[in-house]
Amino acid sequence: MTDKPTSVAGLQATVGRRVGRARRFVEETDPEGVAVVGLVLGSILLGFVGFLLTAGWTAVPLAVALLASTYGWFRQQGLLARALTFGMTTVTVVTLGLIVVFIFVESIPAFRYESLTVFGVSVPGLRMVTQTRWDAVTDPVRFSLLPMIHGTVLVTLIATAVAGPLGVAAALFISEIAPPTVRELVKPAVEILAGIPSIVYGFIGFTIVNPWAGDAFALNGGATYLFVGAMVGLMALPTVVSVAEDALTSVPDSMKNGSLALGATDWQSMTSITVPAAFSGVSAAVLLGVGRAIGETMAATVMLRNVPRIGEPLYNVFYGYETLTSVIASDYGSANGIHEHALFAAGVILFITVMVLSLGSQYIQVRMDRKLGGGN
Amino acid sequence: MATESRNALVRDERTGYERLAAATVGLSGVLFAVALAALLEIVRITDPVAGIPMVAVLGGLVTLSGVAVIGFGLASRRGRIATVPQESAGIVAAVAFTGLWFCAGGLVASQTLGLSGPLWLVPAVAAGAVAFAGTALPREDIGSTAPAGAVAVLVGLSLLTGFIGSNWSWPLGGFNATLFADVVVPFLVMTSALVTGWAAAKTYGGYGARGRHVGAYVLIYLVVLAILGVLVGLIMFVVLKGAPGLFRGFGLLTDGALVRWPFLTNGAGLLADVKGIFPAIVGTVWLVVGAVLVAVPTGVGAAVFLAEYAEQGRFTQVVEVATNGLWSTPSIVFGLFGAAFLIPRFGNQKSIIAGQLTLGFMLLPLVLITSREALLAVPDEYRDASAALGVSKWQTIRSVVLPAAIPGVTTGVILGVGRIAGETAPILLTTGGGVLPAKGSAAAVLGSFQLSASPPFVSNPALLDASSALPYQLFALITAGLGGVPNPEQFAWGVALTLLLVVLSFYAIGIATRYYFRRKLHQ
Repeated sequence: MTDKPTSVAGLQATVGRRVGRARRFVEETDPEGVAVVGLVLGSILLGFVGFLLTAGWTAVPLAVALLASTYGWFRQQGLLARALTFGMTTVTVVTLGLIVVFIFVESIPAFRYESLTVFGVSVPGLRMVTQTRWDAVTDPVRFSLLPMIHGTVLVTLIATAVAGPLGVAAALFISEIAPPTVRELVKPAVEILAGIPSIVYGFIGFTIVNPWAGDAFALNGGATYLFVGAMVGLMALPTVVSVAEDALTSVPDSMKNGSLALGATDWQSMTSITVPAAFSGVSAAVLLGVGRAIGETMAATVMLRNVPRIGEPLYNVFYGYETLTSVIASDYGSANGIHEHALFAAGVILFITVMVLSLGSQYIQVRMDRKLGGGN
Repeated sequence: MATESRNALVRDERTGYERLAAATVGLSGVLFAVALAALLEIVRITDPVAGIPMVAVLGGLVTLSGVAVIGFGLASRRGRIATVPQESAGIVAAVAFTGLWFCAGGLVASQTLGLSGPLWLVPAVAAGAVAFAGTALPREDIGSTAPAGAVAVLVGLSLLTGFIGSNWSWPLGGFNATLFADVVVPFLVMTSALVTGWAAAKTYGGYGARGRHVGAYVLIYLVVLAILGVLVGLIMFVVLKGAPGLFRGFGLLTDGALVRWPFLTNGAGLLADVKGIFPAIVGTVWLVVGAVLVAVPTGVGAAVFLAEYAEQGRFTQVVEVATNGLWSTPSIVFGLFGAAFLIPRFGNQKSIIAGQLTLGFMLLPLVLITSREALLAVPDEYRDASAALGVSKWQTIRSVVLPAAIPGVTTGVILGVGRIAGETAPILLTTGGGVLPAKGSAAAVLGSFQLSASPPFVSNPALLDASSALPYQLFALITAGLGGVPNPEQFAWGVALTLLLVVLSFYAIGIATRYYFRRKLHQ
């Protein structure tokens, strides 16, 4: 509470500085340049607003922006380039913002439909996690997300068990062990593994793995979380390898050489110097791999049965029902009304989970960079 | 002291035990390979080897390797062979063996002794505890060999005695699954081969720091070999399966045409003699072109601003977090976003342009991240030299920094394009059209630009229509139950191979560009 006035004062000071800087900028710059840049950015902004409102006149400001930038390109290239690149920089932020807004807005009706009153307070979305029924057809229509969350958790756990250890071992191999020629072979190979489209993995899973699994384990149908998880783990592997490898190579050579000079074996230097120093980066790599596994869609959609149900016992990986991603991909075409909004709710859960993982791994990486940078 | 000074560093010739240990590592490798072949159904465990059933042969060899490993440990402990073991095998090995023996104890309890309910935990915990004590407490030579050898002996004897024969099966109660010998025997053999191979490799290195080094390297090389094997196997498999479909009706210099490749140039309409995927290829081309037009200027421009103009501060931090966030956003969420945001703004139906923009948003962070790295890698001397000549900042960026960064930017763009060309989930929600489109339904984007007097003045109906694309075509075939064309499996594998070739050629070009420029840089 006490620092509120100071923060307001600080804000005022910052705003004042910004305004002052902007005024100086306008005063120092050629008035024509200011006008052109203002016109370009203003009309792009207007065009964007028009696009958001689905207005028919959207094309007009965009055409103005095009004309103004053509004029400016010949008269005020440097200034215009700076302004345009600034505009492009905001696109990523704006896109992320739009994703958040549109996904959340579309999911609100589903959360409201599934609200539950607890102690007289209506909590939106609570019924999605207090019962397990997802049925869009027969009354009462219910959209519990628990079956999909259960499927996603199982698949992700198995995928992490595959991608984590294998990925870290491969990253160690590439960054520390492999002779240069072998490294030049293995690194592109891992990249290519990332390039194989997920639908191709899914197709192989659907036509080869599922029938085999159904046969080899006498299953009732071939869909299993076990093999979907293994497939997804294979797909998340390249992410883990490349990020972990970056972390391992960022450990300064002086640290490794110091250990080797003391007579340690390569493996000793790795386990007692390189891996501990890069530990946070390696765990960030695993976190990003987990994020990939959670968001993996097509292999799961094609290989699973897409029936919203929870298997018994909970840890039975020989069932294969549905995940958060596969329910969206398989249901979206035929869904309407609350059902469609419920799919957006599944998207919201996915988005939040993956974003938390991404933020966590970024925080870890920043901390590691600071630590290694400070150690130099 | 005498034995200490005669360690591996100062000796040239190999001693007998090192040869034996190397042979054991080799035996484990062979066992692992045979078991893998059995799992992949290349060989069958019922095939007799020299008149003896394969299961028994495997059992005998596994037992042999287990006994050998235990023998190494005992010989080292009694000072028969020159090794430099440490006080303990270490906590990592102890935890690993605890887990292994916990599973072994639990399986024996519930399968062999038939203990029901939570009773199986008792032998499992007991076995795990014994293994932990047996690994962590004794000297390293015993600790890392005895639990490993015991696993192999247990597995080997149960195979050798026919306790787990080729007709063995175990219905898992409550799991709706049954374990059969076809899967279980190779799996057990592979596990024990891994364990004995590791222990024998440690023996080869004489335990201690060097032994651990050798043991760990054997495992890591195995992991890398496995990854490479999976990659090569996957690609070879798709190529072999897809080639008949892809080259159906293929001919050079026939019917007066230079190349006749109906699978790529035909649609799947009723009149086509060989059904093809022309509309899907056209769709993918337009999607990629649109995504590149959206993402590359934006991404490179943003990278220029971040690397050249912006000062490190709150704004760049926010941009960085947003970029990484976009990079890790699941593709299906992009699809939902495209469906909710773009489709209502482009005629309320699935359309190519919605797919182009959605894929463009996905490509943007990839382009931005790689371009910024490429720009930051340009040495500051370049900028300083240009500035010293009195060249303005933008001129420097345009004629010095950007040309120097082009290799990195190109590589990043190509690899990114390879990635989005194979994306299915976003176009499933924003673009995907029919299952088996005829040739006439291929998007004719170039021919359908129209000018009009009312807003939006320029329109293109072809861009506002749904279209197929290679990954979507494959997905649609699978969900439609693989039907609709003669020999649908062959057709679908042909689509899979085409898609794989398109994507991998982007990757090959991207990686080759990187090598080319790197070699030029180091000349």
